[in-house]
Amino acid sequence: MALCAKKRPPEEERRARANDREYNEKFQYASNCIKTSKYNILTFLPVNLFEQFQEVANTYFLFLLILQLIPQISSLSWFTTIVPLVLVLTITAVKDATDDYFRHKSDNQVNNRQSQVLINGILQQEQWMNVCVGDIIKLENNQFVAADLLLLSSSEPHGLCYIETAELDGETNMKVRQAIPITSELGDISKLAKFDGEVICEPPNNKLDKFSGTLYWKEDKFPLSNQNMLLRGCVLRNTEWCFGLVIFAGPDTKLMQNSGRTKFKRTSIDRLMNTLVLWIFGFLVCMGVILAIGNAIWEHEVGTRFQVYLPWDEAVDSAFFSGFLSFWSYIIILNTVVPISLYVSVEVIRLGHSYFINWDKKMFCMKKRTPAEARTTTLNEELGQVEYIFSDKTGTLTQNIMVFNKCSIYGRSYGDVFDVLGHKAELGEKPEPVDFSFNPLADKKFLFWDPSLLEAVKIGDPHTHEFFRLLSLCHTVMSEEKNEGELYYKAQSPDEGALVTAARNFGFVFRSRTPKTITVHEMGTAITYQLLAILDFNNIRKRMSVIVRNPEGKIRLYCKGADTILLDRLHHSTQELLNTTMDHLNEYAGEGLRTLVLAYRDLDEEYYEEWAERRLQASLAQDSREDRLASIYEEVENNMMLLGATAIEDKLQQGVPETIALLTLANIKIWVLTGDKQETAVNIGYSCKMLTDDMTEVFIVTGHTVLEVREELRKAREKMMDSSRSVGNGFTYQEKLSSSKLTSDLEAVAGEYALVINGHSLAHALEADMELEFLETACACKAVICCRVTPLQKAQVVELVKKYKKAVTLAIGDGANDVSMIKTAHIGVGISGQEGIQAVLASDYSFSQFKFLQRLLLVHGRWSYLRMCKFLCYFFYKNFAFTMVHFWFGFFCGFSAQTVYDQYFITLYNIVYTSLPVLAMGVFDQDVPEQRSMEYPKLYEPGQLNLLFNKREFFICIAQGIYTSVLMFFIPYGVFAEATRDDGTQLADYQSFAVTVATSLVIVVSVQIGLDTGYWTAINHFFIWGSLAVYFAILFAMHSNGLFDMFPNQFRFVGNAQNTLAQPTVWLTIVLTTVVCIMPVVAFRFLRLNLKPDLSDTVRYTQLVRKKQKAQHRCMRRVGRTGSRRSGYAFSHQEGFGELIMSGKNMRLSSLALSSFTTRSSSSWIESLRRKKSDSASSPSGGADKPLKG
Amino acid sequence: MEETPPHCLSRLPDNSALKQQELPAHQLYFTATRVLSAFFTMGIFCLCMGIILIVSARSTQEIEINYTRTCANCAKLRETASNFDKECTCSIPFYLSEKMMGNVYMYYKLHGFHQNLYRYIQSRSNRQLMGKDVKAVEDCSPFKTSNSNTPIVPCGAIANSMFNDTIILSYNINSSAQIKVPMLKSGLTWWTDKYIKFQNPSFKNLADEFRGTTKPPNWPNPIYELDEKDPRNNGFLNEDFIVWMPGAAFPTFKKLYGRLNQTHHFKEGLPAGNYSFNITYNFPVTRFQGEKSVVLSTLTWCGGNSLFLGLAYTVTGAVTWLASFAMMAIHTMLKSKKRSFFHQ
Repeated sequence: MALCAKKRPPEEERRARANDREYNEKFQYASNCIKTSKYNILTFLPVNLFEQFQEVANTYFLFLLILQLIPQISSLSWFTTIVPLVLVLTITAVKDATDDYFRHKSDNQVNNRQSQVLINGILQQEQWMNVCVGDIIKLENNQFVAADLLLLSSSEPHGLCYIETAELDGETNMKVRQAIPITSELGDISKLAKFDGEVICEPPNNKLDKFSGTLYWKEDKFPLSNQNMLLRGCVLRNTEWCFGLVIFAGPDTKLMQNSGRTKFKRTSIDRLMNTLVLWIFGFLVCMGVILAIGNAIWEHEVGTRFQVYLPWDEAVDSAFFSGFLSFWSYIIILNTVVPISLYVSVEVIRLGHSYFINWDKKMFCMKKRTPAEARTTTLNEELGQVEYIFSDKTGTLTQNIMVFNKCSIYGRSYGDVFDVLGHKAELGEKPEPVDFSFNPLADKKFLFWDPSLLEAVKIGDPHTHEFFRLLSLCHTVMSEEKNEGELYYKAQSPDEGALVTAARNFGFVFRSRTPKTITVHEMGTAITYQLLAILDFNNIRKRMSVIVRNPEGKIRLYCKGADTILLDRLHHSTQELLNTTMDHLNEYAGEGLRTLVLAYRDLDEEYYEEWAERRLQASLAQDSREDRLASIYEEVENNMMLLGATAIEDKLQQGVPETIALLTLANIKIWVLTGDKQETAVNIGYSCKMLTDDMTEVFIVTGHTVLEVREELRKAREKMMDSSRSVGNGFTYQEKLSSSKLTSDLEAVAGEYALVINGHSLAHALEADMELEFLETACACKAVICCRVTPLQKAQVVELVKKYKKAVTLAIGDGANDVSMIKTAHIGVGISGQEGIQAVLASDYSFSQFKFLQRLLLVHGRWSYLRMCKFLCYFFYKNFAFTMVHFWFGFFCGFSAQTVYDQYFITLYNIVYTSLPVLAMGVFDQDVPEQRSMEYPKLYEPGQLNLLFNKREFFICIAQGIYTSVLMFFIPYGVFAEATRDDGTQLADYQSFAVTVATSLVIVVSVQIGLDTGYWTAINHFFIWGSLAVYFAILFAMHSNGLFDMFPNQFRFVGNAQNTLAQPTVWLTIVLTTVVCIMPVVAFRFLRLNLKPDLSDTVRYTQLVRKKQKAQHRCMRRVGRTGSRRSGYAFSHQEGFGELIMSGKNMRLSSLALSSFTTRSSSSWIESLRRKKSDSASSPSGGADKPLKG
Repeated sequence: MEETPPHCLSRLPDNSALKQQELPAHQLYFTATRVLSAFFTMGIFCLCMGIILIVSARSTQEIEINYTRTCANCAKLRETASNFDKECTCSIPFYLSEKMMGNVYMYYKLHGFHQNLYRYIQSRSNRQLMGKDVKAVEDCSPFKTSNSNTPIVPCGAIANSMFNDTIILSYNINSSAQIKVPMLKSGLTWWTDKYIKFQNPSFKNLADEFRGTTKPPNWPNPIYELDEKDPRNNGFLNEDFIVWMPGAAFPTFKKLYGRLNQTHHFKEGLPAGNYSFNITYNFPVTRFQGEKSVVLSTLTWCGGNSLFLGLAYTVTGAVTWLASFAMMAIHTMLKSKKRSFFHQ
């Protein structure tokens, strides 16, 4: 492992020769071994210590330690600081060590993955870490790519190979890579072993979509591009095997070059704490100065005369210098106002909270067997303060599974689930799915619930047959049949796959295709259609058609497409059918389904011939080929006969609408940022109830220029203002009448708006001069959906909100395209259990279901915040109460930096006597049971408003601490000034005073923690009583004869505890101090409960909300039926596959049949595919890191 | 490579109450009944305690006589260090109007003497004082050794500054006859001090044990000559010395000087009448603008006649009661309001 990282001078270009390890070794390229761990056994201690002392707090305590070693100013023994410091350093070191151990483990796991490497002409199993640059390795289907490879050849024709790049860029659709023609013939090992080409290319970099290099082989040069590369982290799909030449390995791979160091995130409490600590330092210095001045005056007035009894130290020559020394002495003594244990305790509490998240059964996904995981242990309390959630769509809100759910065939809707009695069944009580056993080719995984559709197919309803025939013909799916009957579809988008699979199960099995034919098994008989043309999908057309000739010789055009587009192109005779279908479509859309309309048109031979001729002309045209083709397509796709419509369910993750509703009630704003298309995104917005028909208006910003975008935003804002002015009054009035006075006027007036903004508009909206406008508009809306955004834009949006809103943001996503946003947001959440793990690796929390977010925030986050706030309040209180006593004592001891307490008490107070009870509170406290925080989401608000711990609360704590310290000092002072024991012997000595004050302090802070602890578990009892017991045990032990006998100069308090604590006066003093310190607190809390009851307020308010919520639930169902939303054509796939099919490039045909395709045309195909991709610049694949221009 | 991590249920978190945060617990509620009853009880307790304490404190008697000014000539003499060997006595007569019953304790009291300075408190050697190693003087700066480098016994600033006035209380039976009130010089210290903290190297021949050491600069005699009559009160075990050694918490403090030996005339305590303190004035206080007094006092279970604790309790009790009435009033007021709100 240690050999992994070697420093090398920066490369200028990379040379790698295949099968020539000796040659490649000259360059000392990084091996394929990756190292994410930080330490090894030898370097751990020095490196870790160095890192720890970079923390300001640790350095501060080191500085204190050094101060304490100077005898002239040391007023406390060195161990009062070193014991806690060592403890802190050890705990942190242990934590770092465990973290690093796990990194080592995961490194090892990755490095020891097996791959097949071609060595000396034979394929050998090698570990990933032993793969070198220049090796040729073989990959098999579904394997991870081990390093950045140059694709040499593959099992597919023409050296094509399909990869999934989810881990790299988060896009789940497959991409095609192709070997350069010259190497694509190197299919077998013997040929590959002889391959000795040399690649000269760019040095390692992090650009995922760029590669330039040249292959030199057989005295020829071949240019290489990203199209020939397989990057580490990709997964090989639908390709049996392929061979690749390793170009970049290990740390040089683009994946590793992209995994920048994660930014260290701090919570707002952290920042506040740091500010407060700074203030406390200031306060400390002030106290030091006051006491130092006091000391100088005292030494000048009294001390000089007292020199008979106590001459000045040799180093001290004036009262002023004495004051100077006393300043430092007091800094040492009073440093306990910022105890080092604060930082440790905070970490411990957060760690505890993280474990609670990891242990939570209710966040365990049974299906994927993944528990929730807190990957960062330092952010927990911020989970209780989230105001904005930025969510990815695919894989986060949705499962990215398309299900053929319903369809409307010739005016009849199928797919509703009926229970035995014939009522529409509710969720969860589904009857048996339809039995497809009649069909040997059926896909077992396909489920459909409405048997009437199958009956319709079986009785041979011609429309139903035509419907499924269309589905089995009109698509760009590729089929693969490994064994007889074992069909696999390679669909480019899950929508298409779902449709073709549906047709397959209903007896219209798409079996195979050639460039000119499609073979379909229609109800058991194989029929081969002649494929005449594919009129491919694109963004503008929003439909695709095929023209086929059936065995009878009839030519028919089958078309499927977005309803809005297709309904205009239907034959007028279908008006009645159209109306019924429209009703169905409305119904489907209302349920959030993705709909498609299907239609056909019979073409006569002459018309087709003539049309085909024109099409050929157009496709050969040099200029505006696209436009010409489009108009020709448009011409033929007309006067079509409506067949019906399909409804595909983009399956939401479980519980998404409920979660969103609940989080919205908790005053959290949810923005969806997706790379998907506007229609899809809006559709999902509706199905997860972010957008509803009740909304006053949904603004859609799609402008392409700065001006357009600005204008659209301005209009949106104006509308909102207008309506709040004009409609506002009446609305508020109604609102007041109907519901209650609790809905704030502002909310009621504002109405409900939503904003949908497109990627290219967003690019303008995020420019410096418009970002504020955009933010204002967006924040006034209840829901914001950004579609077609690049990963970078996602991060920019998050950054924008972070910058201006000063609110806590949370980003949740599952893919690598969400990584930037996850890293930018205050809290990043990764959805685990999906295939890509990039998001999870970059995230702070991960779990496998979106719905767990509500529990993470409303239960864990809320509690964490509450606990942390209570902890901090108490912690500052107890340390001020503890430390300020020294300050008061200073006025009585000549400002000589004499401590009130025994030094052992000072050492142990924070780490033993008072640490565990407050830790127990910080870890276990609960104010309301978890069910309540879900029932009353408003309970979440104090966190967002930062009510529980802010500067005001801090000052209250400090004031309470100082108040306590005053009583803690002056009551014993009053008693002890005159006190004697009942036998006349001394009681007013320093040591008895110290013991009395210390004891009352421990008791007072214990009672106080008892009051603060809202949730007394056995552990709290144990810690609180235990701490008191330990205090007395240690006290008596320290004051015992045995210890004094051994170390008389160290343990000076011998016999003090037993002598002092036997006195009733002392106990009366302790009791009085406790009563006086605690009673006002109790009275204050009681009065606040009566006068300003935030909790009961909340309860009252939330009861209302709960009623509302129930009503809303009822509403939701109704709304679902009456929705008027119409979904668009929802394909998420790219154009171009039609061309691919027609060209036959991806067909597994004999090379003879394809001999006509030359290498030139093949590269031109790739070119055109690429050009199209880059044309549709709004596609997120266009480039992760270049901002989009209109 | 493609092996998915073994999907076993071991990843399912335990269903324990601790891990699911469902530990059985009780919660604290500040309900009106509880808070108010606590307040009333506390109030009663404090008031009772206060009254008891005041009554007890009032039952004691105390006389304090400040003799800084009274013995002005001696004070003046002591201001110059070179006069340390000149003896100065002074007699302070006083009249005890009421007899002091029971055990009477005599204290000396110093005003403005800082026994609680950091360096002063540190300046002692417990090792030496427990008789283990009389030459252990490491912690004693600035009084570790004499100029000739001989270790000082007892070393340190505390020991060096020991109070060394002799106070003799005399009772004038009649105008002419004066008898010395018998005072006990034992039992003035804690048991732990006398038997653990302070030990002589050995009981025999203290002078030998302390050979090679020297007396503190301010002391007229070495440690082994503190009380030559009683070996149990000599050396480190000298009661006056032990009483002096623990630093007082505040600049004004009193330390026990002797207790009445209840014999003869004084069986029941100090009878009323004329007394006088005969003081050998050694300890200089005017140099640091301090004062000194002598105190005669009787004690009860709660110590001396300080009223502080009693008053503090009484005030606390009273305030608590007032507060509880106020709280009760506010609570009932709000409750009725709330009720009307909920029943509207």
